Amino acid sequence: MVTRTRRIVQGLFLALFLFLFIQTESKGLDELGYPVKLFLDFDPLIFLTTLLASRAVEGLFWLSLIIVALTVILGRFFCGWVCPLGTLNNMVGSLRKKRAKPPGPGWFRLKYYILVFILASSVFGAQLAGIADPISLTIRSFSLAIYPALSYAATSFFDGIYRLNLPVVTPASEILYDVLKKTVLPFQQPWFLQGVFIGALFLVVLGLNLVQRRFWCRFLCPLGALLGLLSRYAVLRREVSEECDSCGACVAPCQADAVPAGKEKWRASECLVCNNCDDVCPKNAVSFGFLKGHPTGGLDLGRRNVLSSFLLGAFAVPLLRISPLSRPRMADAKLIRPPGALGEPKFLQTCVRCGECMKVCITGGLQPTLLEAGLEGIWTPVMVPRIGFCEFRCTLCGQVCPTGAIKRLPLEEKQEVRLGHAAIDKGRCLPYAHATPCIVCEETCPTPKKAIWIEEVTVRDREGNTVRLQQPNVDLTKCIGCGACEKHCPVADQPAIYVTSAGESRSEENQLLLQAPAVAPFPHK
Amino acid sequence: MKRRDFLKWTAASSMGLALPVSLATLGRMAEAAQGPDLVVAKGASTPQVVRAALDAAGGMRRFIAKGDVVVLKPNIGWDRTPQYAATTNPDVVGALAKLCFEAGAKKVRVFDNTVSDARRCYKQSGIADAAAAAGAEMVYMDSRKYRDVRLNGTVLKSWPLYNDIFEADKVINIPIAKTHSLTTLTLAMKNWMGVMGGVRFRVHQRIDESLVDLCRVIKPTLTVLDAVRILTANGPTGGDLDDVKRLDTIVVGTDQVAIDSFGATLFGMKGSDLNTVKLAARAGLGVMDLSKLSIKRISV
Repeated sequence: MVTRTRRIVQGLFLALFLFLFIQTESKGLDELGYPVKLFLDFDPLIFLTTLLASRAVEGLFWLSLIIVALTVILGRFFCGWVCPLGTLNNMVGSLRKKRAKPPGPGWFRLKYYILVFILASSVFGAQLAGIADPISLTIRSFSLAIYPALSYAATSFFDGIYRLNLPVVTPASEILYDVLKKTVLPFQQPWFLQGVFIGALFLVVLGLNLVQRRFWCRFLCPLGALLGLLSRYAVLRREVSEECDSCGACVAPCQADAVPAGKEKWRASECLVCNNCDDVCPKNAVSFGFLKGHPTGGLDLGRRNVLSSFLLGAFAVPLLRISPLSRPRMADAKLIRPPGALGEPKFLQTCVRCGECMKVCITGGLQPTLLEAGLEGIWTPVMVPRIGFCEFRCTLCGQVCPTGAIKRLPLEEKQEVRLGHAAIDKGRCLPYAHATPCIVCEETCPTPKKAIWIEEVTVRDREGNTVRLQQPNVDLTKCIGCGACEKHCPVADQPAIYVTSAGESRSEENQLLLQAPAVAPFPHK
Repeated sequence: MKRRDFLKWTAASSMGLALPVSLATLGRMAEAAQGPDLVVAKGASTPQVVRAALDAAGGMRRFIAKGDVVVLKPNIGWDRTPQYAATTNPDVVGALAKLCFEAGAKKVRVFDNTVSDARRCYKQSGIADAAAAAGAEMVYMDSRKYRDVRLNGTVLKSWPLYNDIFEADKVINIPIAKTHSLTTLTLAMKNWMGVMGGVRFRVHQRIDESLVDLCRVIKPTLTVLDAVRILTANGPTGGDLDDVKRLDTIVVGTDQVAIDSFGATLFGMKGSDLNTVKLAARAGLGVMDLSKLSIKRISV
């Protein structure tokens, strides 16, 4: 009945989510061909907090207002029918046979306090929603942990069979591997710092379903709380007829804390519109319909609790900002942001840590921070050139960023944006320190007029022999800090040429030159 | 026919034990012996120039036999579009793939171990589309398929090389002519860095000897130098159209040292200006002195 329809719809949305996730990968062109950030575009929590924190509407997704409008009419259908994390929670929850008793009658209120905390901090200019927003959380966890781990498992499995070189089995597994590589597996194995941490957190979220089904949705999810507030007076409501004899059959199947047996006390804000209570009612006394009036079951959040949450959220902002990194003229050398990233304060207010840019980064160089940008900047993207550099003709990260924290730039502009500058470690560089030819950095430098230029020198080696050598130099007026040189430098472990953030276009202060080279005029702040 | 079988076969027939060699084979051998060492073809239509150059070299059938698995190795190292002359011209690759199939090739594979992202290189260079249009298979390098190959060279004793070039029946090297700070130019011999695995940038420390060592074991059936556009500065990556010079030229030959020696002249240099060429000639891998070669020039 409705339950089956709902499961099909949930499956379809989860499939769409996964399809878009897998499409968040380059196929060699500079466009992806699919609206891969669609779920984020429809997310009202991201919309609201970004609006509050950055006070900018550019790059915002008015599509989420559709969800707002629908929620006001239909209630939390998004949680019950659409949300991919909700569906995953359902799936994991079904592993638990018996339904547990709720840990306490008031736990469902916790998510509202979390929401108030997040909203308060965004009012005062910190964007923390992305950490707990279910869409952000799911995309980030999939991108940086779950998918890489699955890819690793699959690759190890097929490599194992390949090495065994068995008759029939190995050729068959290679065909299957090839099909998987062309469909669901990534083009190359993704490697992410903190994959374990982010993956473990996600597994905890899923594992909580074994404590209580949809634990996350019922007690923790801030988006669920926001939609709950919006659906308090939803027009689509539950009605219980006179037939009801309070048998309590609907209590257990309820996916949340809507108190279906309470009739009058039914909480619209907690109802996921799953229709389980309707399906299960032996008297067929329950029905959902468009009704007048207001539901009577309240939230009873408690003024003091709401105020405490608000104050805590507000105070979190200065507490997070007393890191020395927040001081003027302080910049972390290794905090190399993606091309088109806004100035650091604005960037932190806008980035929702969804991980889309890291997923799409063609070289895998974009990595999640831990504390490099302060606790406030946790899981924001940082380029680690030794892992992967910024491909000169790629603009994908700006295309998939849902909030404009990384601006979508035309290729010509992106190619002028400086992420930082390269510097040569003459103590390690082969032509400087060891009278040995190299010039790989110059060779791989992608700017049309190479930023790395060669000086021909004659030096003497230990034996006194004359050696003609080419020594690399960095032209700061040309270097965009893409990191191709650092990535390819053959000096093992610590490279002899490396990029630091000094010179980055997005900062006026973090510059090396008196007159920093001009870039295409676009607002970095 | 596998190369090893061919060797056995020739050994047997040369010992006079075999049946009388057919007239057609004799004729083909005579033609091969008479073919020019290098063909330099020039013209506006690249596919036609490639075809004419191969015809002048004795026809693709001279090099490719029926049922052959052929590897085409263009230079696709960088994420650039064809007009920047950082990657082999896609029309050259497409035309060669077509000629291989016409000569009876069973499979034509195209690949390169790129420096920029392979997906972008293959697509943006136009080579993926050209190969697909010709019915050739564009292959992404599979990290499991590099095998340590004994080179016994002066610098490289062994190195992981891409196995497919040794498993193929025929290999055609299709470099593009560009500048390179360390080797002055990158032409045919340098193009074999694209089948190296391992930390290949380390060979830059003694690049000329290393490339010669590579060419001790990598012996392409044919080399086709793409000089439709050449990159005269800021190579091998390029990126500035002012550094690109249009020559509309294709050079075909079987001796990659000779090809490189000729390639130098396209930049106003001599083969002896290139250390790699000098060392390779000294190692007996080919001929540097162009005056000792028969060079056929044609215009299309």
